[in-house]
Amino acid sequence: MTAGVTKTVKKRLTKFLLSLIIVSIAVLLIVYNLRDNIVYFYSPSDLIEENLNRGQIIRLGGLVETDSVFNESESIFHFKVSDGNEHINVKYEGILPNLFAEDKGVVVEGIYMNDGRFIANKVLAKHDENYMPPEVIQTLKDSGNWQGQ
Amino acid sequence: MSTTIYYISNILIIICLASSLLQTRYLFNINKFNNLSISFLATIQLFSILIAFGLLIYLFLISDFSFELVYLNSHSEKPLIYKLSGVWGNHEGSMLLWILILVLFNFFFSLFSFKRKIFQNLTVSVQSLMIFGFTLFILFLSNPFKLSENNYADGIGLNPILQDPLLAIHPPVLYLGYVGFSLVFSFAIAGLICKEIDKTWASIIKPWVFIAWSFLTAGIALGSFWAYYELGWGGYWFWDPVENASLMPWLAATALIHCVVVLEKKNTMQSWTIVLAIMTFSLSLIGTFLVRSGILNSVHTFASDPGRGLFILIFLFIVLFGSFFLFAIQSEKINKPDLSSLVSRSTGIQINNWLLMTILSVVFIGTMYPLATDLFLNQSLTVGPQYYAITITPLIIIFIFFMIFSPRLGWKESKLINLIMSMRFILISVLSLSFIISLYFDLFNLSEITIIFLSLILVFTSLKSGFRPSGKNTIIKSNLGQNIAHAGFGIFMIAVVSNAVYSKEKIYDAKVGDSLELSGYIFNFKKIEQVEGANFNSLKAYIDLEKEEKILDEFTPEIRFYSDPPTITSETSIIHKFFSDIYVVMNVPQNQQSVSVRLHIKPFMNILWFGVIMIILGGLITAFLKRTRIDEV
Repeated sequence: MTAGVTKTVKKRLTKFLLSLIIVSIAVLLIVYNLRDNIVYFYSPSDLIEENLNRGQIIRLGGLVETDSVFNESESIFHFKVSDGNEHINVKYEGILPNLFAEDKGVVVEGIYMNDGRFIANKVLAKHDENYMPPEVIQTLKDSGNWQGQ
Repeated sequence: MSTTIYYISNILIIICLASSLLQTRYLFNINKFNNLSISFLATIQLFSILIAFGLLIYLFLISDFSFELVYLNSHSEKPLIYKLSGVWGNHEGSMLLWILILVLFNFFFSLFSFKRKIFQNLTVSVQSLMIFGFTLFILFLSNPFKLSENNYADGIGLNPILQDPLLAIHPPVLYLGYVGFSLVFSFAIAGLICKEIDKTWASIIKPWVFIAWSFLTAGIALGSFWAYYELGWGGYWFWDPVENASLMPWLAATALIHCVVVLEKKNTMQSWTIVLAIMTFSLSLIGTFLVRSGILNSVHTFASDPGRGLFILIFLFIVLFGSFFLFAIQSEKINKPDLSSLVSRSTGIQINNWLLMTILSVVFIGTMYPLATDLFLNQSLTVGPQYYAITITPLIIIFIFFMIFSPRLGWKESKLINLIMSMRFILISVLSLSFIISLYFDLFNLSEITIIFLSLILVFTSLKSGFRPSGKNTIIKSNLGQNIAHAGFGIFMIAVVSNAVYSKEKIYDAKVGDSLELSGYIFNFKKIEQVEGANFNSLKAYIDLEKEEKILDEFTPEIRFYSDPPTITSETSIIHKFFSDIYVVMNVPQNQQSVSVRLHIKPFMNILWFGVIMIILGGLITAFLKRTRIDEV
C-alpha cells in the first residue's frame, strides 16, 4: 500500500518537475525571442519628434507624397512618406509592388539612418487598390489629415 | 420572383431555428416532445439549411442583383466557378456555410445508433443549441437573403485575388475542420454531464475527431498552397496572424487526437481530453472571430461590423465559461488514476502534448501581443517571422525525438535499453547518412542537421512498423494510419528545413531579349503581349527556361488588370520539377519601361506537399479503418 502510494507520488513529482522545466524553458524562449523580433511601427511625425530607434529595423507608414517618387536607377527608388505634417525621405532598392503609387498608403520596413533618411528593405504588399493599412489610417487620423470615413 | 425567394429562404432559416430549439430538449429535461426522434429533427435542420444554401447558390448563378449580397460580391461577367465561390467569399454566405456544416455533422451523428442513447441525445442537444445560436445570428445580424433597396444593373464583383479555383474549396474544407470540432465539443459536454468519459466515450468520438482533424489539416494546406502560388511572395507560410489563427486550433487538435487514443486504450487522461476538446473548438471560434471581425486586416476580412464581432465574442464567452464551469464541477468525478508506468507510451504522448501546448503558446503570444499593445498601449508593432522560427525550432527537435520513441514504447512499462537495441541498425545508418549529408552540404547548421537526422529516423521507423508484414499474411495493422501520418510529418520536416536552407531568389529589371540567370538556369525573356481573359486584361510574358544550352520549358507569368473591382494581380508561373520548383513572378512598376522579374528556386516543394498529403491520408485511414484489433506489441 505505502509502496504504491510513494510510487504514485514519485511519478506525479517527476511529471510535475518535467512540465515545470518545459514551461520555464518555453517562457524564457518566448520572452527572449519576442524581444529580438519585434518591429515597431512609426509615423513620420513620430520619428522626427521622438528621434529614436536609429539603426534598428522599424516600420514606417503614411502616404507616398505626390511628385516625390524618382528612380535613381532601374531598381533604386526614392520617395517621401508623409502623414500630412511631416515627411521622411525613403530609399528603396528592389521591386515595388504593383499597387505602389503616389498619394496612396504605404508601409515600408527598414532602418532610420542618422542623417534622417530611411533605407527600406521591404515595401509591404497590399491586397487591393482601396485597402489602406490600419496603421496608416491611424497615422493620418493622429495628424488630422484623414479624409476617409 | 426575388421576393418569393426572399420569403422562402427566410422561412427556411426560421424552420431550422425552431427545429434546433426543439432539439435542445434533452438539455433541459423537457419530456414533452420525446416522441419526436432526434434524427427527424436533424433531417429537418439539414434540409432547411441545404435548400436555403441551394437558393443562395442559385441567386449567385443567375446574378440576381436585387439581393444585396449578390450585388456586393458578384458580377454578371464573372466565370461560373467564381460566381459559385462568391457564395462563401463573403461574411453572410460563409456563416450560412458554417451553419450548413454544423447541421450536416449533427445529421450524420444522429443517424448512428449507439448503445448509450443518452450520449447521443445530449450531444445532439448541445450541437443544436449552437445551431440555434448561429441561426439566430444570421437571421438578425447577418442575413444573406437581404433585398437591396436600389436596383443595380450589375454587381461589384469578387476580389480578384480570391478568384482562384483553389479558393473555391479552401473555405468549405477548412470549415469542415473547424465545425467538425463543434461535434467533438458537444460530445465532450455530453460526457461531462453524464460523468462518463471512458473507453466507450473515446471509441465513439475517435473517428469524428480524426475526420475533423484531417479536414482542418487539408484546409490549412490548401490555404498555404494558394498563398504559395497566388500571392507571389515565394513562400508557403508567412506566420501571418490569419495563418496563425488556423494553426492554433490545429495544434490543440493534434494534441487532442493523441489524447483520445490514450483514453481509448488506457482509460486515462480524461481531464486533458476534455480540456483539449473545449480548447480546440474555442480556438476555432477565436480563429473565426479574429479573421472575420476586421481586427486583422487581410483578404479574409469581409466586413468590420462591430455587432458581428461582438456576437462571436459573446458566443465564445458562453462556450468557454459554460464548459469550464461544467468541467470544474465534474472533473473530480471523471478522472481515473493513471496506472501506466513512467516509461511508457502514454508518458511519451503526454510530453508531446505539453510540447504542442508550448508551441501553441508561442504562436498565441506572437499573434496576440501586437493586438494587445495596440489596444492597451496604442503602440503598433509587428512580430517578425524569425520569432516563430527561432522559438519553435528547439521545441520541434524534442518533439520529433519523442515522436520516434513513444510509439515504440509499449503501453505498459518498457525498458529504454531494449528499445534502443532494437533500433540500432536504423540509428547507425541514419547517423552516418546525416554525417555524410552534413559534410557534403556545409550549408546546414547544427539544429537543421539535427532535425533532418531525427526526421529521417522518424520516417524509417514509421514506415518499418507500418508496413511490416506480420506472420505470413500481410495484414493491415491498426496503426497504419498513425505510421503514415508520422512518416509524412518526418518527410514534411525534412522538406521544410531543406527548403528554408536552399531557397534562392533573385530580382531583375528585365526587357524583352534579356537573359537572366539563377543558379545554373538561364531565363530568356522572349516577348510580352496583351491577352484578354474572361473578366480581365493581362500582360503576359514568355520566358524560356534554359540549362546547358537546352530549352527545358517556358514560363508565362502574367499581370492581370481587373475592372470589377479595379485591381491588379500578379500571376506566378511555376515549373514543378521533382526536386525543386522554379518560380517566376513579375511586376510592372508605374512609369517604367522595364519589367521587374523575380526568380525563385524553391527546393523540395513537391516533397513538402507530399508529406502533407501523407499526414492527411494517415488521419483519414485512422478515422475509417475498422478496428479489427491486430494489436501491436
